[in-house]
Amino acid sequence: MPAVNDKTGGNMKKQKMFEEIEYEPTNVKELLTEMKDVSELITDLAYSAVIFDSKDIAEEVRELEFRMDKLLYQIRLTAMLASRTVEDAEQLSGLLQVASAAENISNAAGDIIKLLDTKIENRPFLPSLLQKADEKIRIINIPESSPMKDKTIQELRIESETGVRIIAIRRRKKWVYDPDDSTTLKENDMLIIRGVDDGYQRLKGFAEGKRGLNNE
Amino acid sequence: MNEIEELFLEMKDTSELMVDLAYSALLYNSREIAEEVFNLEEMIDKLNAEIQKKSVSSAVKDKNVEKTLVMLRLATCIESIADGAMEIADVVLRDIEPHPILRMSVMESDSMITRVVVDKKSVIVDKTLGKTKLSSKTGMWVIAIRRGEKWFFGPDENTIVKKGDIIIVRGPKESEKELVEIASGRKRKF
Repeated sequence: MPAVNDKTGGNMKKQKMFEEIEYEPTNVKELLTEMKDVSELITDLAYSAVIFDSKDIAEEVRELEFRMDKLLYQIRLTAMLASRTVEDAEQLSGLLQVASAAENISNAAGDIIKLLDTKIENRPFLPSLLQKADEKIRIINIPESSPMKDKTIQELRIESETGVRIIAIRRRKKWVYDPDDSTTLKENDMLIIRGVDDGYQRLKGFAEGKRGLNNE
Repeated sequence: MNEIEELFLEMKDTSELMVDLAYSALLYNSREIAEEVFNLEEMIDKLNAEIQKKSVSSAVKDKNVEKTLVMLRLATCIESIADGAMEIADVVLRDIEPHPILRMSVMESDSMITRVVVDKKSVIVDKTLGKTKLSSKTGMWVIAIRRGEKWFFGPDENTIVKKGDIIIVRGPKESEKELVEIASGRKRKF
C-alpha cells in the first residue's frame, strides 16, 4: 500500500503554517486573503460534517475556527502598528471590520457543528434537508482503475471542467482538507465535493472510468 | 418538500449569495451591490421570522420539540452568516474609500470574482443560464447580471442572458480566460 503523501498539501502543511505565523509578522493582505478563504471553506466543511455525521470534519472546523481567532488577532496588531494618520485609521477600521466579519462567519460554522452534539434521532432530517440545495455536498470515490488516480487536481482541471469543488479528501485514515491544485489524487481516495448535479454526474462517471470528463 | 424546508433553503441560498455579493462589492467598490446585500438582509430577517413561527407551531402541534430546536439553531447560524456579509458590505457604504488591501485580498483569494461583458456574438446570448451550463462546464457561478441600469442579483437557471449584459461570476482562476472567450464570442463550444 502506498504511504500517505503529506507533501501534497493538507494537514501537515497547514500545521506548519500555524507555527510560522506565530513567529513572523505577516502582511495584512495575506492574512486577510487567508481569512476570506477559510471563511468560505469552513461553512462547506460544517455542512459536510452535519451531512455525513463526521466527527473528524467537525474537529477540523473547530481547528479552523481557532485559526481564525489567531488570524484576526494578528491582523488587529498589524493594522494598529500600520496606522499613522486619521485617514489611515478610518480605512484600517473598515479593513478590521471585514476581518471580523469573516471571523463571525467562521463562528457561525462552529455553531453549525455544535448541532452534532444533539442526539442523532433529533436531527434525521438535516442531511436530506441540506441535500435539497442546488449545490450539493457529496462523495466521489476513486477506484483502483480510475483515470483520475496519480493525477493532480490541476492536471484534471476538475473545477473548471465540472464546477465541482473538492472540499476534503479522505485517504485511508487521514484527511486532507481544502486540497490545493498540486494535490495528487490516489486510488481509494474518497473525495468530499460540492457541486451541481450535472457536474457531479460527469465527474463521478469520469472517476469510475465510464466516460470522459467533458464530452456530452 | 414542506414549507419550512423551502423557507430554510431559500434562507441558506440567500446567505451564500450575500457573502458573494459582499465580496464583489468590495472588489468593485460598488455601492449598488453593497446596498443589495442590505436588501437581502431584510429578506433573511423575514424568512427567519417565518421559519420561527412555522417551526414553533409545528412543535406545538406535533410535539417535536427537539427537532424544532435543531431547525431553529441552524436558522440562527445562517442568519449570523448573513450578518457577516452585511458587515462586509457596510464598509463599502461608508464615506471613506475602502482600504486598497481589501480589493487585493478578494482578488488573490482561491475563488475568484470577475466580470465580463457578453458580446452579441457570444454563444450564451438569449439562452437561459441553465441551458448554457456555465457553472458546470466552466466552474463559473453567476452571482449578478447588470443590464443597462438594471441589476439582477442571484440569477437562477431560468434567467436569460442578453447581449451587452455585464455578468459578475465567482469561480476558479483557471477558467477566467475561457469565460472571456465565451463571452466575447471567440469560443463557441465549451
